[in-house]
Amino acid sequence: MRLIGNMVSVWFQIHTTVILSLIYVVYVLAGGAIFWYLEGNQLEENSHIFYIKKEELLQKFSCIDQHAVENFAQKIIWAYKNGFTFKGNRTLNGFWRFSNSAVFSATVVTTLGYGDMTPTTTHGQLFCVLFALVGIPLNVVVLNKFGKFMLSIEQRISDYIGRKINRRKTARVLITGISFLIGMTLFIFIPSYGFHTFENWTYNEGLYFTIITLSTIGFGDYVAGNNPDINYPVCYREVVAAWIFFGLAWLSLVINSCIEILEKTSEYFNQRQLNTLENKTIEETVEEPAPAEPGEEISESKEEPTAPECS
Amino acid sequence: MSSNCRSGIMVSIFFVFYLTYLFLGALIFSSIERPEEIRLKDELRVLKTNFLNRSCVNSSSLETFLEHVLTANKYGVSILKNASVNTNWDFASSLFFASTLITTVGYGHTTPLSDGGKAFSIVFALLGVPFTMLVLTASVQRLMHLFTYWPMGVCQMKAGWSSRTASKVQFVLLLGVVVVCFFVVPAAIFSAIEQTWTFLDSFYFCFISLCTIGLGDYVPGEQSGQTLRPLYKITVMVYLFVGLMAMLLVLRSFHKAADLHGLTSLFHLPKCEEEEEDQEPIIDSLESSELDREALPHKQLTAEPQTSYNSINR
Repeated sequence: MRLIGNMVSVWFQIHTTVILSLIYVVYVLAGGAIFWYLEGNQLEENSHIFYIKKEELLQKFSCIDQHAVENFAQKIIWAYKNGFTFKGNRTLNGFWRFSNSAVFSATVVTTLGYGDMTPTTTHGQLFCVLFALVGIPLNVVVLNKFGKFMLSIEQRISDYIGRKINRRKTARVLITGISFLIGMTLFIFIPSYGFHTFENWTYNEGLYFTIITLSTIGFGDYVAGNNPDINYPVCYREVVAAWIFFGLAWLSLVINSCIEILEKTSEYFNQRQLNTLENKTIEETVEEPAPAEPGEEISESKEEPTAPECS
Repeated sequence: MSSNCRSGIMVSIFFVFYLTYLFLGALIFSSIERPEEIRLKDELRVLKTNFLNRSCVNSSSLETFLEHVLTANKYGVSILKNASVNTNWDFASSLFFASTLITTVGYGHTTPLSDGGKAFSIVFALLGVPFTMLVLTASVQRLMHLFTYWPMGVCQMKAGWSSRTASKVQFVLLLGVVVVCFFVVPAAIFSAIEQTWTFLDSFYFCFISLCTIGLGDYVPGEQSGQTLRPLYKITVMVYLFVGLMAMLLVLRSFHKAADLHGLTSLFHLPKCEEEEEDQEPIIDSLESSELDREALPHKQLTAEPQTSYNSINR
């Protein structure tokens, strides 16, 4: 009977994984279809405009031939990708100054990978691979420690308040909610507004950049601090770097909290399922390690060992 | 309290080390790439002056034109007259884009240009990224049994090794297999298909993609006239997903091995919590222990509360 119970739960697990994967595939397919619908037309519209402009230029200046223009334009595109601008007499210094290189290493190590700067030499690429091999785990560990540290502060505050008002669970929920809201404002809404102000982007573009960056997707179509035509305030890029770091740490905290909540919920439901399974079969009850409510006892005892920073 | 202090000191040490690492990296990147860049800059300046001297185009028209060129390039429009325009947004490419979005690779070779596209990207990513992490962690948990616990159990039973040796051997073997299957072989394939990529370029691409860095300097399927482009893109997408799972598997195995060698407690890092199976010789038979039976339902949903190598990226 115990064997059947085992097999049922294993079957259930495998089954859920398969179902989960199927749902995931559907999700990706649906996303692909929607992007196709939203973006597909842009290309045609814009190529049309562009070819008109090109014809205008060729007609206006009859001494240049098609071929020369195309060659030249190819070089310009390539140059732009490598960080040169040719507006007027100003030439950007190129990308690989020290400050920019520091930003590049940060984007590698956080797996953002904007791609506005990429190493073009073989040695550079080789070093990039080695650098990432060590840097990414290091980054994950550091961010996690920071996230845990922030979480432990939050727990201490909620414990303190919980003791004062003598209702720990509500205090915990309240503090979690408040810190989440503070985090959202501090790391998402305020920076979006900041980018809107300093980068001449719209607020929506700022928000888009914020979310694409904090999720470490990092397309690179928008990169803060890269516009050669804007005079940024002092320490702008350092502040952006700090925001990325702390934002990622905060996100790590949020994700860990969500996972904990999911775990508790799933344990709760599992215990109930287990109980009903056992009640159905005439079986001696297995002694349960803990009472089956998702009460404070479980949450408290679960959190003490997981947060070594808590005393 | 002293454990608290030690933990706090550890955090600070890690942080300082992290910053140092970043700065050193910056120095080295700068010294490698800068000379090349300076050379190319001069070349381009010469090119521009030559062009302007030769032709009757004045500087400002040229610059307006160049702006258009660059904008068009963002939209994926090629300057070459007869180039077959590879659309970036047919179904297979959109699918590929969606997958790079939620795996957080984010190449950036195509990005949504319409406002609707950007808004949808945000929503899709907010749901999709956690979802991906969930799916990856759930799958890797199952795979761990097949690739880590079972081999380790076999080694311990048959060869009588201790769990530490078994974990080391298992990790090294797994690493070797993953490197060959997900780096060397795909790199060879990519360098054959993509005409401008050398083997090293392809290897670099595989690495950058599977770490989800996704710089975007190399993206497969972007050359003009690519045969079977939709199929190619979808295959690459599948490769990304499976490769990510493999990377996560290797990481977990490493975590397990480090755990058994006491490294995680040395650095105050969270342990690999595969629950009560740790205490016994690692046998994965359902009939065996009561502990096993109680452990199983707890693993129903994904990640353990604190195997935090999964924190953000996977």
